[in-house]
Amino acid sequence: MTDLSATANNAIEPIVSARGLRKKFGRKEILHGLDFDIPPGRIYGLIGHNGAGKTTTLNAMLGLTSCEGTIRVLGEDPFAKRAKLMENVAFISDVASLPRFLRVRELFALLNNIHPNFSQDKARSFLEGTDIKPEMKIKHLSKGMVAQLHLAVVMAIDAKLLVLDEPTLGLDITYRKRFYRRLLEDYMTEERTLIITTHQVDEIEFMLSDIMFIRDGEMIVHMQMETVNDKFTQLVVNDPELQAAARQHGPVYEETRFGQTVMIFDGVDRATLEPFGRLSTPTLSDLFVALMQRPTANPESGR
Amino acid sequence: MKAFVALVHRELIEHKGAFLIGPLILVAVLFGATLLAFTVGRVDARFSGQLFTVAPLRVYEVGFLAFGLGWSLYMMAVLFFYCADGFAADKRNNAMLFWKSMPVSDFKVLLSKLIAGITVLPGTIYAIALLSGILLYGVAYTTMLINGSASIATLGNIVGIYGQVALTILVTLVCGLLWYLPAMALVGAIATAVGRWAIPIAVLLPSIVSTLEWVTLGGLHPFDTQTWRFMEYRGALPDTPYVEGWLMSQDGFSGMAYALDLIGNMDWLQVGTGAIFAVVVIYLASEYRRRVNDN
Repeated sequence: MTDLSATANNAIEPIVSARGLRKKFGRKEILHGLDFDIPPGRIYGLIGHNGAGKTTTLNAMLGLTSCEGTIRVLGEDPFAKRAKLMENVAFISDVASLPRFLRVRELFALLNNIHPNFSQDKARSFLEGTDIKPEMKIKHLSKGMVAQLHLAVVMAIDAKLLVLDEPTLGLDITYRKRFYRRLLEDYMTEERTLIITTHQVDEIEFMLSDIMFIRDGEMIVHMQMETVNDKFTQLVVNDPELQAAARQHGPVYEETRFGQTVMIFDGVDRATLEPFGRLSTPTLSDLFVALMQRPTANPESGR
Repeated sequence: MKAFVALVHRELIEHKGAFLIGPLILVAVLFGATLLAFTVGRVDARFSGQLFTVAPLRVYEVGFLAFGLGWSLYMMAVLFFYCADGFAADKRNNAMLFWKSMPVSDFKVLLSKLIAGITVLPGTIYAIALLSGILLYGVAYTTMLINGSASIATLGNIVGIYGQVALTILVTLVCGLLWYLPAMALVGAIATAVGRWAIPIAVLLPSIVSTLEWVTLGGLHPFDTQTWRFMEYRGALPDTPYVEGWLMSQDGFSGMAYALDLIGNMDWLQVGTGAIFAVVVIYLASEYRRRVNDN
Protein backbone atom coordinates (compact mmCIF):
# COMPACT_ATOMS: atom_id res chain seq x y z
CA MET A 1 0.00 0.00 0.00
CA THR A 2 2.43 2.60 -1.20
CA ASP A 3 1.68 5.88 -2.84
CA LEU A 4 4.92 7.32 -4.06
CA SER A 5 3.52 9.05 -7.11
CA ALA A 6 4.22 12.44 -5.64
CA THR A 7 7.79 11.44 -5.02
CA ALA A 8 8.27 9.74 -8.34
CA ASN A 9 7.11 12.78 -10.23
CA ASN A 10 9.27 15.04 -8.19
CA ALA A 11 12.67 15.82 -9.64
CA ILE A 12 14.04 16.72 -6.24
CA GLU A 13 16.68 14.32 -5.00
CA PRO A 14 15.31 12.30 -2.06
CA ILE A 15 16.93 12.78 1.32
CA VAL A 16 16.71 9.05 2.00
CA SER A 17 16.43 6.35 -0.61
CA ALA A 18 16.28 2.63 0.14
CA ARG A 19 16.05 -0.29 -2.25
CA GLY A 20 15.74 -3.91 -1.19
CA LEU A 21 16.83 -3.09 2.36
CA ARG A 22 17.30 -6.31 4.30
CA LYS A 23 18.72 -6.97 7.72
CA LYS A 24 19.33 -10.22 9.52
CA PHE A 25 20.22 -10.77 13.15
CA GLY A 26 21.68 -14.25 13.17
CA ARG A 27 19.42 -16.34 10.98
CA LYS A 28 16.36 -14.22 11.58
CA GLU A 29 15.53 -11.64 8.95
CA ILE A 30 14.23 -8.43 10.52
CA LEU A 31 13.80 -6.25 7.43
CA HIS A 32 12.42 -7.97 4.36
CA GLY A 33 13.55 -5.81 1.48
CA LEU A 34 12.22 -2.29 2.11
CA ASP A 35 11.92 0.15 -0.78
CA PHE A 36 11.21 3.79 -0.06
CA ASP A 37 12.20 7.36 -0.83
CA ILE A 38 11.89 10.26 1.58
CA PRO A 39 11.85 13.65 -0.11
CA PRO A 40 13.15 16.79 1.60
CA GLY A 41 10.97 19.13 3.61
CA ARG A 42 8.62 16.45 4.92
CA ILE A 43 7.73 15.22 8.39
CA TYR A 44 7.55 11.45 8.43
CA GLY A 45 6.03 9.23 11.05
CA LEU A 46 7.59 5.77 11.07
CA ILE A 47 5.11 3.63 12.91
CA GLY A 48 5.02 0.00 13.86
CA HIS A 49 4.67 -2.51 16.66
CA ASN A 50 7.50 -3.28 19.04
CA GLY A 51 9.97 -5.37 17.09
CA ALA A 52 8.54 -4.38 13.72
CA GLY A 53 11.93 -3.11 12.54
CA LYS A 54 11.54 0.66 13.01
CA THR A 55 14.75 1.18 14.96
CA THR A 56 16.65 -1.14 12.63
CA THR A 57 15.44 0.92 9.68
CA LEU A 58 16.51 4.12 11.41
CA ASN A 59 19.86 2.58 12.36
CA ALA A 60 20.38 1.70 8.70
CA MET A 61 19.66 5.33 7.75
CA LEU A 62 22.06 6.59 10.40
CA GLY A 63 24.91 4.27 9.47
CA LEU A 64 24.74 2.46 12.79
CA THR A 65 24.22 -0.93 11.23
CA SER A 66 25.08 -2.54 7.93
CA CYS A 67 22.30 -3.96 5.75
CA GLU A 68 21.87 -5.81 2.52
CA GLY A 69 20.40 -3.82 -0.33
CA THR A 70 21.01 -0.17 -0.95
CA ILE A 71 20.39 2.82 1.24
CA ARG A 72 21.51 6.36 0.53
CA VAL A 73 21.10 9.33 2.82
CA LEU A 74 21.88 12.70 1.26
CA GLY A 75 23.43 10.70 -1.54
CA GLU A 76 25.90 8.89 0.72
CA ASP A 77 26.16 5.33 1.98
CA PRO A 78 25.49 5.94 5.68
CA PHE A 79 27.38 2.92 6.98
CA ALA A 80 30.51 3.79 5.01
CA LYS A 81 30.32 7.56 5.54
CA ARG A 82 28.63 7.94 8.92
CA ALA A 83 31.02 10.55 10.30
CA LYS A 84 30.72 12.79 7.25
CA LEU A 85 26.97 12.29 7.08
CA MET A 86 26.48 13.37 10.68
CA GLU A 87 27.46 16.91 9.70
CA ASN A 88 24.01 17.15 8.11
CA VAL A 89 22.05 14.60 10.11
CA ALA A 90 21.04 14.88 13.75
CA PHE A 91 19.31 12.24 15.80
CA ILE A 92 17.92 11.45 19.20
CA SER A 93 17.85 7.77 20.04
CA ASP A 94 15.38 5.96 22.23
CA VAL A 95 17.77 5.76 25.16
CA ALA A 96 19.00 8.59 27.37
CA SER A 97 22.26 9.07 25.55
CA LEU A 98 23.67 12.42 26.65
CA PRO A 99 27.02 12.01 28.40
CA ARG A 100 26.08 12.21 32.05
CA PHE A 101 29.47 13.24 33.36
CA LEU A 102 29.38 16.62 31.60
CA ARG A 103 27.96 19.91 32.74
CA VAL A 104 25.61 21.65 30.33
CA ARG A 105 28.15 24.36 29.49
CA GLU A 106 30.88 21.73 28.98
CA LEU A 107 28.61 19.83 26.61
CA PHE A 108 27.96 22.96 24.55
CA ALA A 109 31.64 23.92 24.51
CA LEU A 110 32.66 20.45 23.35
CA LEU A 111 29.99 20.31 20.66
CA ASN A 112 31.01 23.74 19.46
CA ASN A 113 34.42 22.28 18.64
CA ILE A 114 33.30 18.83 17.53
CA HIS A 115 30.30 19.64 15.32
CA PRO A 116 30.84 22.18 12.51
CA ASN A 117 27.11 22.92 12.28
CA PHE A 118 26.40 23.30 15.99
CA SER A 119 25.61 26.75 17.34
CA GLN A 120 26.26 27.25 21.03
CA ASP A 121 24.24 30.47 21.04
CA LYS A 122 21.23 28.75 19.52
CA ALA A 123 21.43 25.94 22.05
CA ARG A 124 21.56 28.45 24.91
CA SER A 125 18.62 30.36 23.50
CA PHE A 126 16.57 27.16 23.27
CA LEU A 127 17.15 26.60 26.98
CA GLU A 128 16.00 30.06 27.98
CA GLY A 129 12.87 29.83 30.06
CA THR A 130 13.67 26.30 31.20
CA ASP A 131 15.07 25.20 34.55
CA ILE A 132 18.27 23.97 32.92
CA LYS A 133 21.29 26.05 33.88
CA PRO A 134 24.77 25.93 32.31
CA GLU A 135 26.49 24.80 35.51
CA MET A 136 24.18 21.82 36.02
CA LYS A 137 25.57 18.33 35.58
CA ILE A 138 23.55 16.25 33.15
CA LYS A 139 23.38 13.36 35.62
CA HIS A 140 21.51 15.64 38.01
CA LEU A 141 18.82 16.61 35.50
CA SER A 142 15.40 15.00 35.52
CA LYS A 143 14.34 12.82 32.60
CA GLY A 144 12.24 15.64 31.17
CA MET A 145 15.08 18.11 31.49
CA VAL A 146 17.46 15.72 29.72
CA ALA A 147 14.93 15.46 26.88
CA GLN A 148 14.69 19.25 26.72
CA LEU A 149 18.47 19.56 26.69
CA HIS A 150 18.86 16.91 24.01
CA LEU A 151 16.25 18.63 21.88
CA ALA A 152 18.06 21.95 22.35
CA VAL A 153 21.28 20.27 21.22
CA VAL A 154 19.83 18.76 18.05
CA MET A 155 17.89 21.92 17.21
CA ALA A 156 21.09 23.89 17.49
CA ILE A 157 22.59 21.71 14.77
CA ASP A 158 21.94 23.04 11.31
CA ALA A 159 21.05 19.62 9.86
CA LYS A 160 19.11 18.63 6.78
CA LEU A 161 17.69 15.50 8.37
CA LEU A 162 16.55 15.04 11.95
CA VAL A 163 15.73 11.54 13.17
CA LEU A 164 13.88 11.08 16.44
CA ASP A 165 13.52 7.54 17.74
CA GLU A 166 10.98 7.56 20.58
CA PRO A 167 12.24 10.97 21.70
CA THR A 168 9.58 11.42 24.36
CA LEU A 169 9.75 7.96 25.88
CA GLY A 170 8.97 8.14 29.58
CA LEU A 171 8.06 11.83 29.55
CA ASP A 172 4.81 13.18 30.91
CA ILE A 173 2.20 14.69 28.62
CA THR A 174 3.24 18.30 29.34
CA TYR A 175 6.83 17.67 28.30
CA ARG A 176 5.73 15.71 25.26
CA LYS A 177 3.45 18.48 24.00
CA ARG A 178 6.11 21.12 24.67
CA PHE A 179 8.72 18.98 22.93
CA TYR A 180 6.79 18.68 19.68
CA ARG A 181 5.55 22.28 19.72
CA ARG A 182 9.13 23.51 20.11
CA LEU A 183 10.26 21.28 17.29
CA LEU A 184 7.64 22.63 14.92
CA GLU A 185 7.93 26.27 15.89
CA ASP A 186 11.68 26.62 16.27
CA TYR A 187 13.20 24.05 14.01
CA MET A 188 11.20 22.91 11.03
CA THR A 189 11.78 24.66 7.74
CA GLU A 190 11.11 23.71 4.16
CA GLU A 191 14.66 22.48 3.75
CA ARG A 192 14.59 20.16 6.71
CA THR A 193 13.24 16.65 6.92
CA LEU A 194 12.08 15.06 10.11
CA ILE A 195 11.54 11.35 10.77
CA ILE A 196 9.87 10.37 14.02
CA THR A 197 9.04 7.03 15.53
CA THR A 198 6.79 6.88 18.54
CA HIS A 199 4.04 4.74 19.98
CA GLN A 200 2.07 7.84 20.94
CA VAL A 201 0.96 8.32 17.34
CA ASP A 202 -2.01 10.55 18.15
CA GLU A 203 0.32 13.13 19.66
CA ILE A 204 2.32 13.57 16.47
CA GLU A 205 -0.47 13.13 13.95
CA PHE A 206 -1.09 16.87 13.67
CA MET A 207 2.45 17.53 12.51
CA LEU A 208 3.01 14.67 10.08
CA SER A 209 3.06 15.12 6.36
CA ASP A 210 3.65 11.43 5.59
CA ILE A 211 3.37 8.09 7.32
CA MET A 212 5.13 4.80 6.97
CA PHE A 213 3.72 1.73 8.71
CA ILE A 214 6.14 -1.13 9.19
CA ARG A 215 4.79 -4.53 10.11
CA ASP A 216 7.15 -7.44 10.75
CA GLY A 217 9.89 -5.89 8.66
CA GLU A 218 7.69 -4.98 5.72
CA MET A 219 6.40 -1.58 4.66
CA ILE A 220 2.64 -1.88 4.53
CA VAL A 221 1.73 1.80 4.25
CA HIS A 222 3.77 4.66 2.84
CA MET A 223 1.71 7.67 1.88
CA GLN A 224 1.07 11.34 2.42
CA MET A 225 -1.40 12.34 5.10
CA GLU A 226 -3.63 14.01 2.49
CA THR A 227 -3.87 10.67 0.74
CA VAL A 228 -4.72 8.96 4.00
CA ASN A 229 -7.61 11.39 4.45
CA ASP A 230 -8.83 10.75 0.92
CA LYS A 231 -8.31 7.03 0.94
CA PHE A 232 -9.54 5.86 4.34
CA THR A 233 -12.96 6.42 5.79
CA GLN A 234 -14.26 5.51 9.20
CA LEU A 235 -17.92 4.63 9.53
CA VAL A 236 -19.82 4.40 12.79
CA VAL A 237 -22.98 2.40 12.33
CA ASN A 238 -25.50 1.11 14.88
CA ASP A 239 -28.31 -0.54 12.95
CA PRO A 240 -27.59 -4.25 12.28
CA GLU A 241 -29.14 -4.10 8.83
CA LEU A 242 -27.03 -1.10 7.87
CA GLN A 243 -24.00 -2.83 9.29
CA ALA A 244 -24.64 -5.81 7.04
CA ALA A 245 -25.08 -3.52 4.06
CA ALA A 246 -21.90 -1.62 4.86
CA ARG A 247 -19.96 -4.87 5.15
CA GLN A 248 -20.73 -5.51 1.50
CA HIS A 249 -18.20 -2.74 0.70
CA GLY A 250 -15.36 -4.66 2.34
CA PRO A 251 -14.15 -2.81 5.41
CA VAL A 252 -10.50 -3.44 6.16
CA TYR A 253 -11.27 -3.37 9.85
CA GLU A 254 -14.29 -3.65 12.10
CA GLU A 255 -14.77 -3.47 15.84
CA THR A 256 -17.51 -2.78 18.33
CA ARG A 257 -16.95 0.01 20.82
CA PHE A 258 -19.50 0.78 23.51
CA GLY A 259 -22.26 -0.84 21.51
CA GLN A 260 -21.34 0.95 18.31
CA THR A 261 -19.78 -0.74 15.33
CA VAL A 262 -16.83 1.05 13.78
CA MET A 263 -15.65 0.10 10.30
CA ILE A 264 -12.70 1.40 8.37
CA PHE A 265 -12.79 1.37 4.59
CA ASP A 266 -9.94 1.66 2.17
CA GLY A 267 -10.65 3.41 -1.11
CA VAL A 268 -14.44 3.35 -0.87
CA ASP A 269 -16.18 6.51 -2.01
CA ARG A 270 -17.61 8.50 0.89
CA ALA A 271 -20.85 9.12 -0.96
CA THR A 272 -21.38 5.36 -1.08
CA LEU A 273 -20.95 5.02 2.69
CA GLU A 274 -22.88 8.14 3.63
CA PRO A 275 -26.29 6.43 4.01
CA PHE A 276 -25.01 3.84 6.51
CA GLY A 277 -23.97 6.10 9.38
CA ARG A 278 -21.58 8.74 10.61
CA LEU A 279 -18.41 9.20 8.53
CA SER A 280 -15.06 10.55 9.57
CA THR A 281 -11.39 10.21 8.80
CA PRO A 282 -9.81 7.57 11.03
CA THR A 283 -7.18 8.77 13.43
CA LEU A 284 -3.69 7.48 12.94
CA SER A 285 -4.03 5.17 15.92
CA ASP A 286 -7.31 3.76 14.54
CA LEU A 287 -5.66 3.25 11.19
CA PHE A 288 -2.67 1.67 12.89
CA VAL A 289 -4.88 -0.80 14.72
CA ALA A 290 -6.85 -1.48 11.54
CA LEU A 291 -3.89 -2.14 9.30
CA MET A 292 -1.41 -3.70 11.66
CA GLN A 293 -3.51 -6.71 12.66
CA ARG A 294 -1.39 -9.77 13.01
CA PRO A 295 -2.20 -13.38 13.86
CA THR A 296 -0.14 -13.15 17.05
CA ALA A 297 0.81 -10.20 19.18
CA ASN A 298 4.52 -10.42 18.53
CA PRO A 299 5.47 -13.30 16.27
CA GLU A 300 9.06 -12.21 15.87
CA SER A 301 11.13 -9.62 17.55
CA GLY A 302 13.45 -7.20 15.88
CA ARG A 303 15.20 -4.30 17.35
CA MET B 1 41.99 18.90 14.51
CA LYS B 2 39.70 21.11 16.62
CA ALA B 3 37.31 18.20 17.02
CA PHE B 4 40.13 15.85 17.95
CA VAL B 5 41.43 18.24 20.62
CA ALA B 6 37.88 18.55 21.97
CA LEU B 7 37.62 14.76 22.17
CA VAL B 8 40.89 14.61 24.10
CA HIS B 9 39.55 17.34 26.40
CA ARG B 10 36.41 15.28 26.92
CA GLU B 11 38.60 12.46 28.27
CA LEU B 12 40.15 14.80 30.79
CA ILE B 13 36.72 15.98 31.93
CA GLU B 14 35.42 12.42 32.17
CA HIS B 15 38.43 11.10 34.07
CA LYS B 16 39.45 14.11 36.09
CA GLY B 17 38.63 12.19 39.26
CA ALA B 18 41.50 9.77 38.69
CA PHE B 19 43.90 12.13 36.99
CA LEU B 20 43.34 15.45 38.75
CA ILE B 21 41.15 15.38 41.85
CA GLY B 22 42.55 12.11 43.25
CA PRO B 23 46.18 13.19 42.87
CA LEU B 24 45.40 16.61 44.39
CA ILE B 25 43.91 14.89 47.43
CA LEU B 26 47.02 12.72 47.62
CA VAL B 27 49.20 15.84 47.46
CA ALA B 28 47.23 17.38 50.31
CA VAL B 29 47.73 14.22 52.37
CA LEU B 30 51.43 14.07 51.48
CA PHE B 31 51.86 17.74 52.30
CA GLY B 32 50.24 17.22 55.67
CA ALA B 33 52.41 14.16 56.31
CA THR B 34 55.55 16.05 55.30
CA LEU B 35 54.68 18.95 57.58
CA LEU B 36 54.08 16.55 60.46
CA ALA B 37 57.23 14.57 59.73
CA PHE B 38 59.39 17.68 59.98
CA THR B 39 57.58 19.28 62.88
CA VAL B 40 57.29 16.27 65.20
CA GLY B 41 60.83 15.11 64.60
CA ARG B 42 60.16 12.00 62.48
CA VAL B 43 62.64 13.45 60.00
CA ASP B 44 65.97 14.55 61.41
CA ALA B 45 65.75 18.19 60.43
CA ARG B 46 69.36 18.76 61.43
CA PHE B 47 70.34 16.07 58.90
CA SER B 48 72.86 14.80 61.40
CA GLY B 49 73.20 11.37 59.79
CA GLN B 50 76.48 10.68 58.07
CA LEU B 51 75.12 10.97 54.57
CA PHE B 52 73.41 14.26 55.12
CA THR B 53 76.31 15.63 57.04
CA VAL B 54 78.43 15.05 53.98
CA ALA B 55 75.79 16.05 51.43
CA PRO B 56 72.84 17.73 53.14
CA LEU B 57 71.19 18.68 49.85
CA ARG B 58 70.78 15.03 48.92
CA VAL B 59 67.50 14.96 50.84
CA TYR B 60 66.06 17.16 48.13
CA GLU B 61 67.24 14.86 45.37
CA VAL B 62 66.24 11.61 47.05
CA GLY B 63 62.96 12.99 48.40
CA PHE B 64 61.75 14.39 45.10
CA LEU B 65 62.98 11.36 43.13
CA ALA B 66 61.07 9.13 45.55
CA PHE B 67 57.99 11.29 44.98
CA GLY B 68 58.56 10.96 41.24
CA LEU B 69 58.77 7.17 41.55
CA GLY B 70 55.57 7.14 43.58
CA TRP B 71 53.74 9.30 41.07
CA SER B 72 54.99 7.11 38.22
CA LEU B 73 53.59 4.01 39.93
CA TYR B 74 50.31 5.82 40.54
CA MET B 75 50.18 6.88 36.91
CA MET B 76 50.85 3.37 35.62
CA ALA B 77 48.02 2.03 37.76
CA VAL B 78 45.45 4.65 36.74
CA LEU B 79 46.45 4.49 33.07
CA PHE B 80 45.90 0.73 33.12
CA PHE B 81 42.44 1.18 34.58
CA TYR B 82 41.77 4.11 32.26
CA CYS B 83 42.51 1.97 29.22
CA ALA B 84 40.56 -0.98 30.58
CA ASP B 85 37.54 1.14 31.44
CA GLY B 86 37.68 4.41 29.49
CA PHE B 87 37.62 2.76 26.08
CA ALA B 88 34.29 1.16 26.97
CA ALA B 89 32.91 4.14 28.86
CA ASP B 90 30.65 5.38 26.06
CA LYS B 91 28.81 2.07 26.01
CA ARG B 92 28.67 1.80 29.79
CA ASN B 93 27.36 5.38 30.12
CA ASN B 94 24.67 4.80 27.49
CA ALA B 95 26.25 7.64 25.56
CA MET B 96 27.43 5.61 22.58
CA LEU B 97 24.56 6.75 20.35
CA PHE B 98 25.16 10.37 21.28
CA TRP B 99 28.81 10.21 20.24
CA LYS B 100 27.82 8.30 17.12
CA SER B 101 25.53 11.19 16.24
CA MET B 102 28.61 13.39 16.04
CA PRO B 103 30.58 13.82 12.82
CA VAL B 104 33.62 11.96 14.12
CA SER B 105 34.67 8.46 13.17
CA ASP B 106 35.03 5.65 15.68
CA PHE B 107 38.75 5.54 14.89
CA LYS B 108 39.08 9.20 15.78
CA VAL B 109 37.19 8.69 19.04
CA LEU B 110 39.35 5.73 20.11
CA LEU B 111 42.55 7.41 18.98
CA SER B 112 41.62 10.47 21.03
CA LYS B 113 41.30 8.21 24.07
CA LEU B 114 44.76 6.76 23.48
CA ILE B 115 46.29 10.17 22.84
CA ALA B 116 44.63 11.51 25.99
CA GLY B 117 46.17 8.54 27.81
CA ILE B 118 49.68 9.53 26.77
CA THR B 119 49.34 13.33 26.90
CA VAL B 120 46.90 15.32 29.02
CA LEU B 121 46.10 12.61 31.55
CA PRO B 122 49.73 11.84 32.51
CA GLY B 123 50.42 15.56 31.97
CA THR B 124 48.13 16.45 34.86
CA ILE B 125 49.84 13.89 37.06
CA TYR B 126 53.23 15.31 36.08
CA ALA B 127 52.05 18.80 36.97
CA ILE B 128 50.83 17.54 40.33
CA ALA B 129 54.13 15.71 40.87
CA LEU B 130 55.91 19.03 40.33
CA LEU B 131 53.55 20.68 42.79
CA SER B 132 54.25 17.96 45.36
CA GLY B 133 57.98 18.60 44.87
CA ILE B 134 57.51 22.33 45.48
CA LEU B 135 55.62 21.62 48.68
CA LEU B 136 58.25 19.10 49.82
CA TYR B 137 61.05 21.54 49.10
CA GLY B 138 59.15 24.36 50.77
CA VAL B 139 58.77 22.42 54.00
CA ALA B 140 62.35 21.10 53.97
CA TYR B 141 63.87 24.48 53.13
CA THR B 142 61.82 26.33 55.73
CA THR B 143 62.81 23.79 58.37
CA MET B 144 66.47 24.11 57.42
CA LEU B 145 66.25 27.88 57.54
CA ILE B 146 64.76 27.69 61.02
CA ASN B 147 67.41 25.30 62.38
CA GLY B 148 70.21 27.20 60.66
CA SER B 149 71.39 24.42 58.34
CA ALA B 150 70.47 26.41 55.24
CA SER B 151 70.74 30.01 54.10
CA ILE B 152 69.20 32.15 51.37
CA ALA B 153 72.19 31.20 49.22
CA THR B 154 71.19 27.52 49.47
CA LEU B 155 67.99 28.37 47.61
CA GLY B 156 69.82 28.57 44.28
CA ASN B 157 71.14 25.04 44.74
CA ILE B 158 67.69 23.76 45.69
CA VAL B 159 66.06 25.32 42.64
CA GLY B 160 68.76 23.72 40.50
CA ILE B 161 68.11 20.32 42.07
CA TYR B 162 64.38 20.79 41.53
CA GLY B 163 64.98 21.42 37.83
CA GLN B 164 67.23 18.35 37.52
CA VAL B 165 64.72 16.06 39.18
CA ALA B 166 61.76 17.58 37.28
CA LEU B 167 63.62 16.86 34.03
CA THR B 168 64.32 13.32 35.22
CA ILE B 169 60.66 12.65 35.99
CA LEU B 170 59.58 14.15 32.67
CA VAL B 171 61.99 12.07 30.61
CA THR B 172 61.04 8.92 32.53
CA LEU B 173 57.34 9.58 31.96
CA VAL B 174 57.73 10.30 28.26
CA CYS B 175 59.96 7.28 27.64
CA GLY B 176 57.70 5.11 29.79
CA LEU B 177 54.57 6.17 27.92
CA LEU B 178 56.23 5.50 24.58
CA TRP B 179 57.52 2.15 25.81
CA TYR B 180 54.16 1.03 27.19
CA LEU B 181 52.06 2.54 24.37
CA PRO B 182 51.35 -0.81 22.64
CA ALA B 183 50.28 -2.37 25.94
CA MET B 184 47.94 0.56 26.60
CA ALA B 185 46.49 0.31 23.11
CA LEU B 186 45.98 -3.43 23.45
CA VAL B 187 44.18 -3.09 26.79
CA GLY B 188 42.05 -0.29 25.29
CA ALA B 189 41.20 -2.40 22.26
CA ILE B 190 40.20 -5.34 24.44
CA ALA B 191 38.05 -2.99 26.55
CA THR B 192 36.32 -1.71 23.41
CA ALA B 193 35.15 -5.24 22.78
CA VAL B 194 34.55 -6.65 26.25
CA GLY B 195 34.33 -3.64 28.57
CA ARG B 196 35.75 -3.99 32.06
CA TRP B 197 36.51 -7.66 31.47
CA ALA B 198 39.59 -6.24 29.81
CA ILE B 199 41.13 -6.00 33.29
CA PRO B 200 41.41 -9.74 34.00
CA ILE B 201 41.92 -10.55 30.33
CA ALA B 202 44.84 -8.14 30.02
CA VAL B 203 46.41 -9.59 33.15
CA LEU B 204 45.95 -13.18 31.99
CA LEU B 205 46.74 -12.67 28.30
CA PRO B 206 50.57 -12.95 28.55
CA SER B 207 50.26 -16.19 30.55
CA ILE B 208 47.75 -17.62 28.11
CA VAL B 209 49.82 -16.77 25.04
CA SER B 210 52.97 -18.06 26.71
CA THR B 211 51.23 -21.29 27.72
CA LEU B 212 49.95 -21.76 24.18
CA GLU B 213 53.48 -21.32 22.87
CA TRP B 214 54.76 -23.82 25.42
CA VAL B 215 52.05 -26.34 24.48
CA THR B 216 52.59 -26.01 20.75
CA LEU B 217 56.32 -25.33 20.45
CA GLY B 218 57.68 -26.86 23.64
CA GLY B 219 59.94 -25.54 26.39
CA LEU B 220 60.90 -26.28 29.95
CA HIS B 221 57.70 -24.77 31.40
CA PRO B 222 55.01 -22.24 30.40
CA PHE B 223 57.18 -19.34 31.51
CA ASP B 224 60.25 -20.41 29.63
CA THR B 225 59.12 -19.28 26.20
CA GLN B 226 59.98 -16.61 23.68
CA THR B 227 56.65 -14.94 24.49
CA TRP B 228 57.37 -14.71 28.19
CA ARG B 229 60.90 -13.44 27.63
CA PHE B 230 59.52 -10.80 25.28
CA MET B 231 56.89 -9.81 27.85
CA GLU B 232 59.58 -9.48 30.50
CA TYR B 233 61.67 -7.38 28.15
CA ARG B 234 58.72 -5.13 27.29
CA GLY B 235 57.56 -5.04 30.89
CA ALA B 236 60.35 -2.82 32.19
CA LEU B 237 62.18 0.27 31.07
CA PRO B 238 65.85 -0.26 30.22
CA ASP B 239 68.44 -0.06 33.00
CA THR B 240 70.17 3.27 33.49
CA PRO B 241 73.80 2.78 34.66
CA TYR B 242 73.95 6.47 35.48
CA VAL B 243 71.50 6.08 38.40
CA GLU B 244 73.40 3.09 39.81
CA GLY B 245 76.64 5.10 39.67
CA TRP B 246 75.06 8.18 41.18
CA LEU B 247 73.64 6.24 44.14
CA MET B 248 77.17 5.13 45.07
CA SER B 249 78.67 8.58 44.60
CA GLN B 250 78.42 11.89 46.35
CA ASP B 251 77.86 13.85 43.15
CA GLY B 252 74.79 15.96 42.58
CA PHE B 253 72.09 14.39 40.42
CA SER B 254 72.21 15.42 36.78
CA GLY B 255 68.86 15.23 35.03
CA MET B 256 70.51 15.70 31.67
CA ALA B 257 72.98 12.84 32.22
CA TYR B 258 70.11 10.59 33.30
CA ALA B 259 68.00 11.64 30.30
CA LEU B 260 70.81 10.92 27.85
CA ASP B 261 71.49 7.59 29.55
CA LEU B 262 67.83 6.51 29.40
CA ILE B 263 67.28 7.73 25.85
CA GLY B 264 70.50 6.07 24.74
CA ASN B 265 69.47 2.75 26.24
CA MET B 266 65.95 2.74 24.82
CA ASP B 267 65.28 0.24 22.04
CA TRP B 268 63.83 2.74 19.58
CA LEU B 269 63.08 0.09 17.00
CA GLN B 270 60.82 -1.54 19.58
CA VAL B 271 59.25 1.85 20.34
CA GLY B 272 58.54 2.44 16.64
CA THR B 273 57.17 -1.06 16.13
CA GLY B 274 55.06 -0.64 19.25
CA ALA B 275 53.60 2.63 17.95
CA ILE B 276 52.60 0.96 14.68
CA PHE B 277 51.12 -1.94 16.63
CA ALA B 278 49.15 0.53 18.78
CA VAL B 279 47.65 2.28 15.75
CA VAL B 280 46.74 -1.06 14.16
CA VAL B 281 44.96 -2.45 17.24
CA ILE B 282 43.13 0.84 17.77
CA TYR B 283 42.00 0.73 14.14
CA LEU B 284 40.77 -2.86 14.56
CA ALA B 285 38.95 -1.87 17.74
CA SER B 286 37.34 1.08 15.95
CA GLU B 287 36.12 -1.22 13.20
CA TYR B 288 34.59 -3.44 15.86
CA ARG B 289 32.94 -0.41 17.47
CA ARG B 290 31.66 0.76 14.11
CA ARG B 291 30.16 -2.56 13.15
CA VAL B 292 28.78 -3.85 16.42
CA ASN B 293 25.63 -1.96 17.20
CA ASP B 294 25.06 -3.08 20.78
CA ASN B 295 24.30 0.30 22.24
